[in-house]
Amino acid sequence: MLTWATFWSQVFNGLARGALLALISSGLTVIYGTLGVLNLAHGAMFMIGGYAGYVAFTRTGSFIVALIAGSGVVLAVGLVMERLVIRRFYGRPHEDQILVTFGLGICFVEIIRFFFGSLSRSMPPPPRLAGITSLGFMVYPTYRIAVVGIVAISLLAIYLVLYRTRLGMIVRAGIEDSGMVACLGIDVHRVFMIVFGIGSMAAGFAGIVNLPVAPITPDMGDSILVQAFVVIVIGGVGSYTGAVLGGLIAGEILSISSMIDPAYSYVALFAVMTVVLMLRPRGLLGAEWRT
Amino acid sequence: MSLLEARGLHTYYKDSHVLFDVSLRIEQREVVALTGRNGAGKSTTLKSLMGVLAPRAGSIVFDGEEIAGQTSHLIASAGMQLVHEERRIFGSLTVEENIVLAGLTARERWPLGRIYELFPRLKERRDSRGTDLSGGEQQMLAIGRALVRRPKLLLLDEPFEGLAPLIVRDLVTVCRELAGEGQPILLVEQNLPALLALAQRVYIMNNGHIVHEGATQELKAQPALLRRYLGV
Amino acid sequence: MADVTVAPIAPAHRHLLAELATAVALIAAPPLLSRLGFAPDTMSRILVLGLFGIGFDLLFGYTGLLSFGQAAFFGTGGFTAAYLLTRTGMSSVMLSLALGVLAAALCGIGVGLIALRRTGIYFAMITVAIAQVFFFLENSPLADFTGGENGLAGVPAPTFSLGFATFPIHSGWSMYGFIAACYFVGLLVARRIVQSPIGCILAAIRDNPLRAAAVGHDVHGYKLLIFVIAAAYSGLAGGLLGVLQGYMPPDAFSFDTSGQLVMQTVIGGAGTLYGPLVGAAVWLYLRDFLQESAGLGAQWKLVLGVIFVLLVCFLRRGIIGGLKDLIILIGRKPTGAAERSDAGGARSGEGGGVAAAVRRPDPPSMPPSRVPCGAPGPILAASALTKRYGGLVANNNIHFAVEPGELRGVIGPNGAGKSTFFKMLTCEVAPTSGSISFQGKEITGMQVTDVCQLGLTKSYQVSQLFTRLTVRENLTIAALASLRGKLRIDLLKSPARVRSLHSRVDATLELIDLTGRCDVPAAALAYGEKRRLEIGLALATAPTLLLLDEPLSGMSPMERIETVKLLRSISRGRTLIIIDHDMDSLFELTERITVLERGCVLAEGTPQEIKNNPAVQAAYLGPESVA
Repeated sequence: MLTWATFWSQVFNGLARGALLALISSGLTVIYGTLGVLNLAHGAMFMIGGYAGYVAFTRTGSFIVALIAGSGVVLAVGLVMERLVIRRFYGRPHEDQILVTFGLGICFVEIIRFFFGSLSRSMPPPPRLAGITSLGFMVYPTYRIAVVGIVAISLLAIYLVLYRTRLGMIVRAGIEDSGMVACLGIDVHRVFMIVFGIGSMAAGFAGIVNLPVAPITPDMGDSILVQAFVVIVIGGVGSYTGAVLGGLIAGEILSISSMIDPAYSYVALFAVMTVVLMLRPRGLLGAEWRT
Repeated sequence: MSLLEARGLHTYYKDSHVLFDVSLRIEQREVVALTGRNGAGKSTTLKSLMGVLAPRAGSIVFDGEEIAGQTSHLIASAGMQLVHEERRIFGSLTVEENIVLAGLTARERWPLGRIYELFPRLKERRDSRGTDLSGGEQQMLAIGRALVRRPKLLLLDEPFEGLAPLIVRDLVTVCRELAGEGQPILLVEQNLPALLALAQRVYIMNNGHIVHEGATQELKAQPALLRRYLGV
Repeated sequence: MADVTVAPIAPAHRHLLAELATAVALIAAPPLLSRLGFAPDTMSRILVLGLFGIGFDLLFGYTGLLSFGQAAFFGTGGFTAAYLLTRTGMSSVMLSLALGVLAAALCGIGVGLIALRRTGIYFAMITVAIAQVFFFLENSPLADFTGGENGLAGVPAPTFSLGFATFPIHSGWSMYGFIAACYFVGLLVARRIVQSPIGCILAAIRDNPLRAAAVGHDVHGYKLLIFVIAAAYSGLAGGLLGVLQGYMPPDAFSFDTSGQLVMQTVIGGAGTLYGPLVGAAVWLYLRDFLQESAGLGAQWKLVLGVIFVLLVCFLRRGIIGGLKDLIILIGRKPTGAAERSDAGGARSGEGGGVAAAVRRPDPPSMPPSRVPCGAPGPILAASALTKRYGGLVANNNIHFAVEPGELRGVIGPNGAGKSTFFKMLTCEVAPTSGSISFQGKEITGMQVTDVCQLGLTKSYQVSQLFTRLTVRENLTIAALASLRGKLRIDLLKSPARVRSLHSRVDATLELIDLTGRCDVPAAALAYGEKRRLEIGLALATAPTLLLLDEPLSGMSPMERIETVKLLRSISRGRTLIIIDHDMDSLFELTERITVLERGCVLAEGTPQEIKNNPAVQAAYLGPESVA
């Protein structure tokens, strides 16, 4: 029985889910846009963030510490990964880049599985954000509203970095023409490393924020990766705003279609991706055609 | 000691041998031109100097330092700047952002105001995105961006190509002003009048070789030479 | 990337030798490998994965399409067969398997039409997404058909009755025999495909899809074809898995299945057909070994993951590729002379070529295979041809006509729009307005491939060769397009049976004077030789009108003389249009010259007229030069 409460509840769910997807996908798309590398280990970053946050939380009991420590771990993993592996693959064909990031993703999953086993772990939301809030015509879990807020702030922070700081300027220029950036005396490899680290950290941060919503397992990254792909195909590969828009759209599609028939929500998302591919192959906000 | 001395450069594009034993030199406060038909190797020479396309053999001594084979960002730090033929301005950044970005890692930089003085048009369009600029404005931005870093040597790759004559005239004036202030410039151009007006010395290239070097005055008196290497 | 040696003219017995060896290995495996601790079940499983991988290798190793979604077809084929056998009372295992293959192939068409719209990274992403959809569908909405999380149990083993006797297949060695037979058949078919003309074309698509399309092949059609074939192999493997286990597991559709396939193929060696088998053997062997003997428990997958990453970093061509390299390395060491003469050949290729060109008489001219159109009038006519890029007008209202048999030159200063003009003539780029007709037929808006099939083709300013293939293979690909049409599904045919292929290739080789270098990979050629091969590629399509974009660029004076001679010899029986900046050569070679300036036609006339034309002088040297 579809009531207004159910409907709006799903819309909010979609918003929360979409916000997280937007954050994860924005990291993936900025990495691809700047470095030209599609990171198939990006889902693993989300998962590692979740586990790192979980560990931090179990040790300190603080949500904030979990957020910071967890993000820091993923940032470090990203920086090291770029420096040691990805950097060797810039001159190699795209397929090789895909293969090596895919392999690394598998390794990460198995390492986590080794330490934590396959059973799921979870974390309660921080006390101030636990429970439910009344929105007049319906009640809704407080934490999920908080998720939207937290992610919105992070997306805004990324946006400000990209569009208001010098690093952001360098990154945006690098997405367009990294060779020219080098000609202006800037060490592009260092920029790449930072972008890879921060892009991965975005996924990791999302992983921690998501902990109180859903329990984590070592292989949760796979389905997140696929969804992130769909988002950036819809939004336009290489476009930050495209990833945000695509993420929100995807979140809503998944939620609303699950109201009609939960079994087909994924199919609905995929159908939208196919339509976008047919009608506007470069995505809604995609700029260039990087095949 | 010359500002720039390149000796015996051999550059390949993939495995196509494009530059054959190219040598040239630029002194302080000089404007030198490099000309020749399409495919002669002029752009490749500039790219070799800037490290965009590393030479396979030869030496480039810039301000006393050997720079052949170094990456472009180190050569830029050493004080060379190249204004590419395709201009390569950042379309998604504004005019001002383009200029500021260029100056970020420069040891000394010109104040923004100085650039705007040189190119008042850019000041009017300071908040426009790169993609919205006209061809002439893009060229001004590309040159202004290179100048911000107070380069010890400015390489210009066909800056007047494809622009309306009035704009070319303005740009030539700007270049003359820069030259007057002592800015060393290596100018690649096929536009003969501009070239003859600005340069003190000219190198002519043909099929990857330097085939002539001499003072501009001499060249003006040898129209047959020009016709042979530049005409039909 | 894996080196794919396509040998269209290798002696037949060499093929059969490899296949015989495989058959022997398959028969000898049980007694030998069971001593190493391989259970029959494991060996059957390796074969199933090997078969799965053959399809994937055709797709990835040979055509360069990296799909992470093959599990979709594996599961479709497997569950179709399993469903038919367990829920509908169909008794023939073979028929169910066949229907499974059909179902997988049909899915392949649908998925391929969506996924192949993009290439490279996009393609990989889309295959991942699609496979996930299949997985999801299998788990929930279609759970009635697939058994959901439980899968389908009770899949029977086949029974072969020949009238006088029945041969039931049990698990164990008889099952191995059945699956080995299926694998062998699958391998034979795959080898035929690889050795057929289509195999050559797939290698070309992997190497340089742009050029493959430009010489007249329907690249998208071939990609879809191989995608469907790969799906069919996946479906068969899936069906066999169900029969092997007596049970069809739900994880057949999982991303894991697709991922493992990729890893096994890369570990074994992509582009070899045997790679997936080796990779699967290594995978399963290590899995059992690491778990039992090394006591690693669940970490076997981590070890395999690390091995995979290391291989991608350092031994990209996998085990088989590495062995091949080792053999070549060992074979080369005692005969260092061979290496030196190779390098010497590369360097003297130019000199040798020049000397040979000076020595030998004019090469026989190669007549175009197309009957010249009898229609009167220009062979090519462009009318009001305009191209705008945003605000920039690259070509403006160009009227241009070339008579049959003419040798026309096109020149113009920088920014004249010559390249854009050529691109419009070959239909690489669509004009903003205006029209082009070729042999009286309107070709505006057609595709490059179709225009090439009509007889109009181009050689590129920057050589677009199939760099990993030999000179002969390069020319074969071009010739195949014109002899077979843009898409022909002759999967099992030997290239030797394509009529006049050899004579066309040999004639072209002689014309461009690369007969002595015909088995050298294009990447190893000297620059001048590459430029000759570049022209040869266009020639081998037997064009009636040949456009040459800066054929003399980057050439030494000696090479120029030689190339001009070559151009003159190929102009017999053909129409040529040449863009170049080498005035001396062009003026010597051509009959008429068109001058472009700032996107418009400035002048047209004989070389002498152009030389004396003051407007042309002014265009190049500036208005002051006209004294």
